[in-house]
Amino acid sequence: MEVSVIGNPQAKICRAELSFRELGFRLGSGESRNKVCFLTHQSSKWKEIRIRCSPRSVKCEAIVSDQAPFLKPTPNPRSQLESVKLFVGLPLDTVSDCNNVNHMKAITAGLKALKLLGVEGVELPVFWGVVEREAAGKYEWSGYLAVAEIVKKVGLKLQVSLSFHGSKDPEIGLPDWVAKIGEGEPGMYFTDRYGKQYKDCLSFGVDDVPVLDGKTPMEVYGGFCESFKSAFSDYMGNTITGITLGMGPDGELRYPSHQHETKPSGTGEFQCYDKHMLSALKHYAESSGNPLWGLGGPHDAPAYDQQPHSTSFFSDGGSWESQYGDFFLTWYSSLLTSHADRVFSVASSAFGGSGVSVSGKLPLLHQWNKLRSQPSELTAGFYSSNGHDRYEAIAEIFAKNSCRMIIPGMDLSDEHQSLASLSSPESLLGNIKTSCKKQGVVVSGQNSSASVPGGFERIVENLKDESVGIDLFTYQRMGALFFSPEHFHAFTVFVRNMNQVELSSYDQAGEDEAQTVSLGSGTGAHSLQTA
Amino acid sequence: MSTVPIEPLLHHSPLRRTSLNGARTFLPSSLNLRCHFTSKKLHSIGRGIASGNSLGFLSSERRRSIAIRASSSDTAVVETTSQSDDVIFNENFPVQRIDKAEGKIYVRLKKVKENDWELSVGCSLPGKWILHWGVSYVGDTGSEWDQPPEDMRPPGSLAIKDYAIETPLEKLSEGDSFHEVTINLNLESSVAALNFVLKDEETGAWYQHKGRDFKVPLLDDVPDDGNLIGSKKGFGALGKLSNIVVKPDEPGADVQEKGKSSSGSTKEGKGLEEFYEEMPISKHVAGDNSVSVTARKCPETSKNIVSIETDLPGDVTVHWGVCKNGNKKWEIPAEPHPEETSLFKNKALRTRLQRKDDGNGLSGLFSLDEELEGLCFVLKLNENTWLNNRGEDFYVPFLTSAALPTPKTNQEVSDSGFTAEIITEIRNLAIDISSHKNQKTNVKEVQENILQEIEKLAAEAYSIFRSTTPAFTPESDLESEDEKPEIKISSGTGSGFEILCQGFNWESHKSGRWYQELQEKADELASLGFTVLWLPPPTESVSPEGYMPKDLYNLNSRYGTIDELKETVKRFHKVGIKVLGDAVLNHRCAHFKNSNGVWNLFGGRLNWDDRAVVADDPHFQGRGNKSSGDNFHAAPNIDHSQDFVRKDIKEWLCWMREEVGYDGWRLDFVRGFWGGYVKDYMDASKPYFAVGEYWDSLSYTYGEMDYNQDAHRQRIVDWINATSGAAGAFDVTTKGILHAALQKCEYWRLSDPKGKPPGVVGWWPSRAVTFIENHDTGSTQGHWRFPGGKEMQGYAYILTHPGTPAVFFDHIYSDYRSEIASLLSLRNRQKLHCRSEVNIVKSERDVYAAIIDEKVAMKIGPGHYEPPSGSQNWSVAVEGRDYKVWETS
Repeated sequence: MEVSVIGNPQAKICRAELSFRELGFRLGSGESRNKVCFLTHQSSKWKEIRIRCSPRSVKCEAIVSDQAPFLKPTPNPRSQLESVKLFVGLPLDTVSDCNNVNHMKAITAGLKALKLLGVEGVELPVFWGVVEREAAGKYEWSGYLAVAEIVKKVGLKLQVSLSFHGSKDPEIGLPDWVAKIGEGEPGMYFTDRYGKQYKDCLSFGVDDVPVLDGKTPMEVYGGFCESFKSAFSDYMGNTITGITLGMGPDGELRYPSHQHETKPSGTGEFQCYDKHMLSALKHYAESSGNPLWGLGGPHDAPAYDQQPHSTSFFSDGGSWESQYGDFFLTWYSSLLTSHADRVFSVASSAFGGSGVSVSGKLPLLHQWNKLRSQPSELTAGFYSSNGHDRYEAIAEIFAKNSCRMIIPGMDLSDEHQSLASLSSPESLLGNIKTSCKKQGVVVSGQNSSASVPGGFERIVENLKDESVGIDLFTYQRMGALFFSPEHFHAFTVFVRNMNQVELSSYDQAGEDEAQTVSLGSGTGAHSLQTA
Repeated sequence: MSTVPIEPLLHHSPLRRTSLNGARTFLPSSLNLRCHFTSKKLHSIGRGIASGNSLGFLSSERRRSIAIRASSSDTAVVETTSQSDDVIFNENFPVQRIDKAEGKIYVRLKKVKENDWELSVGCSLPGKWILHWGVSYVGDTGSEWDQPPEDMRPPGSLAIKDYAIETPLEKLSEGDSFHEVTINLNLESSVAALNFVLKDEETGAWYQHKGRDFKVPLLDDVPDDGNLIGSKKGFGALGKLSNIVVKPDEPGADVQEKGKSSSGSTKEGKGLEEFYEEMPISKHVAGDNSVSVTARKCPETSKNIVSIETDLPGDVTVHWGVCKNGNKKWEIPAEPHPEETSLFKNKALRTRLQRKDDGNGLSGLFSLDEELEGLCFVLKLNENTWLNNRGEDFYVPFLTSAALPTPKTNQEVSDSGFTAEIITEIRNLAIDISSHKNQKTNVKEVQENILQEIEKLAAEAYSIFRSTTPAFTPESDLESEDEKPEIKISSGTGSGFEILCQGFNWESHKSGRWYQELQEKADELASLGFTVLWLPPPTESVSPEGYMPKDLYNLNSRYGTIDELKETVKRFHKVGIKVLGDAVLNHRCAHFKNSNGVWNLFGGRLNWDDRAVVADDPHFQGRGNKSSGDNFHAAPNIDHSQDFVRKDIKEWLCWMREEVGYDGWRLDFVRGFWGGYVKDYMDASKPYFAVGEYWDSLSYTYGEMDYNQDAHRQRIVDWINATSGAAGAFDVTTKGILHAALQKCEYWRLSDPKGKPPGVVGWWPSRAVTFIENHDTGSTQGHWRFPGGKEMQGYAYILTHPGTPAVFFDHIYSDYRSEIASLLSLRNRQKLHCRSEVNIVKSERDVYAAIIDEKVAMKIGPGHYEPPSGSQNWSVAVEGRDYKVWETS
C-alpha cells in the first residue's frame, strides 16, 4: 500500500481554514526509519506532524520506489524484503500481432490498481514476431509505445522483455518473413532426433550463420535492439529501468528439450539434429579425435516423456558418465553458454550506457534433480564435467557481461512436488543462487506462471534470504486470473507482507528508536503530476 | 421491447455543472465570475476541458465520468454492430449548443412621496431571476453585507443566513418579458447603501457589476469602490476602473455600464437623487440538439457510407479525418472528397453539411474506403464554437469484429483523467490527514480509501479481462467460488432451495392495511410451497408505494404501521417463510432545502447533510463524491463512499434485522452504486438471502433483440461479483430473452452458443433470481410486461430451471394459480434447486425442451417434444397451453 501525498504549490491544495501551502509526505529509501513526517508549510514556518510507524501490528503498508514520493517506512529487520522492487508481468498478448493494444482498459485499470498498491512497475513482453513481423528491418513499435506511455502516465516503471521466441498461448510466432525463410531453410530451427522442428525459436547453431537474408540472427537481434532503443529513447532510463533479452525458448536460456507441455514428467530430449548443429558436432568430434562420436546425438537417451531410467543414458553409471557422455554434453552445453555470451554482447553494444539494466532468464529445471544425472538439466544444456557446478559457467558469462540473472520458480516448494518426480526446486534454486553469488551476479526473481499452493509464502521466504540479496521480483502475470477476487486478495496480502509496517498513532513520537527522516515534497511528485 | 429508459447521455451537461460550481463557489464577500469562465471554456474549447487548476475542484471528477460514459457507449457500439448486416454503426449523440441571449438590466431609484423612495431592479431576459441583496449600515466598513430591516423586505423574500435576502423578480405583466422587483426604502433606518447581485436560478449564474456587487448609495458618503450606481462619483470613476473582473470576451458575464439615460430631480432629503440606469446583459441559453450518425457498408463499391445528420440550426461544418492502422491519428483520406469540402492545414477536412430536402436540419454523406478503420470528427458551428462528443472526438468505427481496437483518444482521456483523479484524491486525503488531530483514524481512513480504490480498479480490470478472455468459463469458475467457505459465512444466498413470492403489487398501498391482508394469506402461501416472501419497502416515503424513502427509521407506511409489519413478519416466520425487506439504498428524499432552495438536507434520526448526496447530479447540489453508479434522477442519490453514510446504513440494516425481524433484503436500484458497498452492507447485516435489482436494457438492433445477450448478463454478473457474491441479482436477461422467444416464436433464443441457458442463470445460477414480472414491469405500471397469455410458459421455465425463482403476487391470485401451484409443488417434490443441472435438449423455432437434474423434463412452445423413452420412466406432472412438464417416477 502506498500512501502518497503530493506537495505542489501551484495546485493550491489548501483549505481556507488550514492555509497550508505545501504538504510533503515522503517515503525515502535507503536509511532505516520507522517514522513518517508530514510537513506543512505555513507561511514560511514549518510545522511537523508525525506519524510513527511501529513494526508490529500491521494494517497497511507502503512499498515504494526510491523515486516516487511515497512513504516507505523501513524497519530494520525487514530491510532485505523491503528493498525488493516488485514488478508484475503484463499479459503476453498485451499487443496483438496487428499492433493493437489488447484489453487496454483492463490494463489501464490494472496498472492504476498496482500503482496504488505500491508495486514498482510492470514487465512488458515485446515480441519479435509482432514488431518486425512483415519484413526484415521494418519495425512497428506503435502498440508497445502506447503501452509504455500508459505505464509512464500511471507512474510505474517498466521492465521490457525482448522476446526472440514465439509463444503457443497466446499464439505469437516468429516474424512472418523469418518463418518464410525457415520453410526453405529448415536447418535454422532446433530439431530433435525424429527430425521434428521447434519453430518458436532459432537454433543456437545458426547464431553466426547468415541465414536471414544474408544476416546472422545475432545481427538481426542487434538491429532489433537498436531500433528499440531509438524508438523508446524517451523512456530509457526513466520509465524503462531494465531490459531482459530473450535467450531461447520461452525467453529462457535452454534448449527446447521439453517441447510438449503435456507431459513434463519425462526427461526431455536433446535438440542437436539440425543441419548446423550436426555439422558443428561432427567438426568438434573430428578435432577431438573421435570422429565416430560426431555422427549424431546419444542413441540411448529416452524419449520426451519417458522416465529417466527407461533407457541407459541417464542411469547411474550410464552413458552420461562415460567418456562419450562427457564429450557430447560438454559440447552441447558449450553451445548454450556461447549463445548466452553472444546475445549479451549484442545487448551490451546496444544498451551499454543507456541507464538500464540488462538481464537474462534461466529456467528452473527441477524435475529429476534428485537424480545424480539430473536429466532435465542435461537435455536443456546444463552440464559440467566431473560433477562440477553446472551453473557456474553460465553465471560467469552473466558476470562477464554485467547482466542480471532472472530465476523463475521462486514460488515452488519441495513439499508440493510429487514424490515420483524426484524434484527439489528449493535445492536447485539454492544451487543457482550460490553460483551467482560466487560470480557476483545480481539475481532477480520470478514465480512460475501457474499458481501453486503456498506460493506467496515461498516467494517471501526466498526474497528474505539475505545471502543473495534479490532486489527485484517480477510476478507473472496480469490477466483475468490475476484480478479474480481470490487471487487478487492473496496478491494484496503478499504485497503487504513484503512490507510489514503499520502507521500507528503518533502518540509515541519522540521515543528513543524513532528516527525522524526526510520530508518536504518529494521530487518524484513530478512523475504523478505531469502524468 | 424494453421500456427501460435509456438515460440521456448528457445529463452531466456542462451548463448544469456550471450552476453547481457557481452555487458552490459563491461567497458573498468575494463574488466572482468563475462559473462563467468555466462555462465558456467548456463550450467553446471543447476538447481541452479547462484545466483543473483555476477551477479548483470537480474537473477531474468530470473527466472521469466522461471517460466512463464513453467507454460504456463503446461497448454498446460493438454490441449493436455485431448482428446487423450492412449497417455497421448507428448512434444518436445528444449535443448541447449554447446560444447567447442579450438583454438589459435596469436599476431605477424613484421617489414616490416625501421620504418614501423605491428602488426597482429589472431584467429583460427570460429566466428565473432572483435579486440577492443586502444592505450596508452607516459606519460599516468593508464590503460585508447585512440583512435589511424587516420593513424593507418585499413579500416573498427569503433570508439567506444573516447577511442577505433573496427576492424573486416578478413578471411585470403576462406577455411582458421584463421581470422586476421593487424595494421600498426606509430612509429612517441607518441604511447607507444597498448591495445586490442578480442570480438566474435556471442556470445558476450570478450577474455582477464590474466584477463586484451592485451598490446603490443612499447616503452621500458611501465609500466608492468603483461599483456605485446612480451617483456621480461612480461615473466619474468609471474611466479609471482597474478592477473589472469581466473581460470583454467573456460574454456570459457581460454586465457593463452603458450610461445613465436619465437623471431625476435633486431632492434635499439625504441628498438622494432619482436615477435610471440600464446595463446590457447576456446569458447563455442551452439548446438540446442531436447528431445522428449512421455508417453502412456498401459491398458494391467497397465503401463505407457514413451519413451525418443533425438538427442544429445555422451552418454546421464537419471537421473530420479518418483513422487507419489501429491508431487514432487523424489522417486525410484519398480523394475524392464530398462536396463543399476543404482541406484544413493538411490535418483535417472540412465539409459543410447541406440542408436536407425537407428543410429540417442538415445532413452530409461521406463515402470512404472500407479498409479505413474509422472516421473521427467534431462539429464546428462558428469560429469559436465547436461541438464534440462529451469532451472527445466523435468516432465512427468501421470494424465490426469484437476485436475492435479501442479508440485511442478515449483511452488517453481516461488515462489522464484518472491520474489527475488519483492526484486529487490523494491530495484530499492529505488534507484530511493534516486537518485533524486524531491522525490514527485518519491514516486508517486514507488507507481504507486507497484500498477501496484498489479493489474497485481490480474489479474493473477483472471484469474486462474476463469478458475478453475466451478460455474463461464463467460457470465453472463462478460456481467454484461458491465452495469457498468464507463466502458461506454470510452468503445471502440461502440454502439454494428458495422459492420467492413477491408479496405486493403497485396497488398494494391503497388499502392502507396491506400487512394485515398479507398476514391472512400466510398459511396459504406456505402451503403453495413458497419459502421466502418479499415485502414492500417499509419506510416513510414521499410516494405511497414506498420507493421514495424519507426517514428510514420511520416504518409507518401506507402498507401499515411498524407494529403491523412486525406482526406480519412473525406470522410468516411461524409458517416457515423467510421475509425480505425492500431496502431502497440508492436515493433518499430530503427533509429540508439548502440555502439555494434545493432539497438535499435530511432529517429524522439520520440527519445527513448534503455531503451524503452525490456530487454529480446537478439537481441536488450534493457535496459528496461523484456517484459510483448510475443516477436515479427523482431524488438525491446517496453517496455511499462516505463513511458516515455507510456506517448509518449498516446500523439501519442491522436495526431492521433486529427490530422487524427481516431475514434478508431485496435491494432497489443497485445500478446506482458500487457493488462493493453492497458487500459491505451484506457483511454487516448478514442476511439469509439478498437479491439486488440491477435492471438495464438488453441489446437490440433495429428493434430486434440480439441473440447474444452476454454483455447484458455480464453487467449483472459483474455487479454480483462486485458484491463478492454476497447478494444475488434478478435475472433480467432471462426475462428479456423469454419475452422475445415467446412473443415471436423464437425458442432458439433459449440456448446460448454453448448450449446453456442464455441468461444470468446460465452463468451463475446460484446468484440468479429468475422472475417474469414484478411491480414495475407488470401490475398497473406495465413498464415491461411479460407477453400476455404466455405467463405459464415463463413459469414452466423458471420454476423448473436452476436459479432461484420468484413468483409475482398478481399471478398467484389469478387464473394461473393452480398451474403455478402444481409447478411449485413439483419443484419442491423433485428438490430442484438453484444449482440444478440443466441439459437443453431442444431449442428450435417453435419448441424449447430441457431436462433438469435428470429427473424433470420440460418443454415450452407449440412444437412437439417428448422425453426419451428409455431407462427412465417419465410421467406428465403439469401440462398447460404450450408447455408440458414431466418427472421421473
